[in-house]
Amino acid sequence: MQTSREEVQQVFRDVFGEDQIVLTDDMTADDIPGWDSLGHLNLIIAIEKRFGIKFATAEISRLKDDDQNVGTLLALIARKRG
Amino acid sequence: MNVCSIEWVVCLLAFSALFFLIPGVRLKQMLLFAGSASFVASFVPNMVGWIALAVFVGIGYLTARLLRRFPRKIILVLYLVIVLSAFVVLKQYAFAKALLPAALFQRVIATVGWSYILFRQIHVAVDAYEGQIETLSFWNYLNYQLNVFGFVAGPIQHYQDFCRCWMDLTPILNEAESILRAYLRIFIGVVKIALVGQLCLELFNSCSDLLNDAVQAGHETQGLRILQFLAMFYCYPLYIYFNFSGYCDMVIAGASLFGLKMPENFDRPYLSRNMIDYWTRFHRTLGFWIRDYIFTPMYKGVAARWPAKAASLAFLCYLVAFTLAGIWHGHGWNFVIFGLLNGLGAAAAKLWERRLIKRVGRQGLRSYLQDPRIRAVAIVGTVNFACFTIFFFPSDLNRSFHIVRNVFAGPL
Repeated sequence: MQTSREEVQQVFRDVFGEDQIVLTDDMTADDIPGWDSLGHLNLIIAIEKRFGIKFATAEISRLKDDDQNVGTLLALIARKRG
Repeated sequence: MNVCSIEWVVCLLAFSALFFLIPGVRLKQMLLFAGSASFVASFVPNMVGWIALAVFVGIGYLTARLLRRFPRKIILVLYLVIVLSAFVVLKQYAFAKALLPAALFQRVIATVGWSYILFRQIHVAVDAYEGQIETLSFWNYLNYQLNVFGFVAGPIQHYQDFCRCWMDLTPILNEAESILRAYLRIFIGVVKIALVGQLCLELFNSCSDLLNDAVQAGHETQGLRILQFLAMFYCYPLYIYFNFSGYCDMVIAGASLFGLKMPENFDRPYLSRNMIDYWTRFHRTLGFWIRDYIFTPMYKGVAARWPAKAASLAFLCYLVAFTLAGIWHGHGWNFVIFGLLNGLGAAAAKLWERRLIKRVGRQGLRSYLQDPRIRAVAIVGTVNFACFTIFFFPSDLNRSFHIVRNVFAGPL
């Protein structure tokens, strides 16, 4: 199932309370105010709810690694949605 | 065997020089296993200790296998309850002794390294339950748990990351310069532990003993006693930092000589700007473990059940997670205080951030965080608070309070 960037973008805007967020693949937590550890969890919870998927603890943790970005998150969501 | 000993360093350098001359991965693995087993044997005093260790590690492996095959929540929860209860009894925690029958605590078993085995077991069990462990063999699991480079005090490595290197055991230091850097890091580790850390400990011990003796302390002016108290207050945290980061330098660099990549455990912790930041810089693999295996499931559970109150309950989750982490550090009531202070510090950091966002918005928070003067104040405040939490670390509560009384209640 395809996941549109706009759908995920809307989740980001809702979670971080910022209507100006425009997602690009190379964006990281440093580019979005509020995307800290707790913000990350709130984002994951909102994505799980929005798309009816579930992330494993290791996946949630790995998404915080230095080599991860919005692109890898989008790819993971797409993979989980099949 | 002590990591910072002549025997350990000589064995490390000698075996690493020959290691990649050994043909085949299996032989290399067997040599590393022999090294790890000999190292672990130096901490296990008798047959009862070996049996207990074998049962502890074996149950973790069997449960992980079971969870890979049957990922049922009930199995995971049962396992966690049993293993944590056994751990609390075996480690003879003071709060457990106060609550449970004394008969449970009569047999004392040497449990060096068990805390880290427990962290790794819980990680493997949860990851197995969630389908994140692709392959699991007893040989790999055993070596992961007994790995000489993480057995005593971490760093806490993920099973998947360990296996990635363990299955290959090819050199990861491919230039002469990077090998020399590893040797240099081992040497720096020795200097940190044996020289700088030891000096800090000696200074701490002499001030602490002096202040603990009411008669001796009474002979000095209050100004001098306060100076001694300050030396004591800062020297123990410095000792912990130099000792532990030196140990990590030695094991991380040592592991790299054998083709094993261990995670970094320190990132300039005394530049942290709050207690949450501190735990991502000081013993960071423990900080990440707390985040992943205590805070995350707790907060997700809370957010699922009470979504409207999740933001407020997050502070409680910080408090509980860091308090538990503090309590884990030792069996006395002093560690409960240490844990509570860490929990309060982490919760306060998040509360302060939330208050700022309400007042100045997220952009305002960004400007606030970038202000160098605010950063400096935050760092100084965090360092002092972290030292305050560690004040309760080395001695039991009676001694700590006795020292404070002698410093401030004696003659001027």
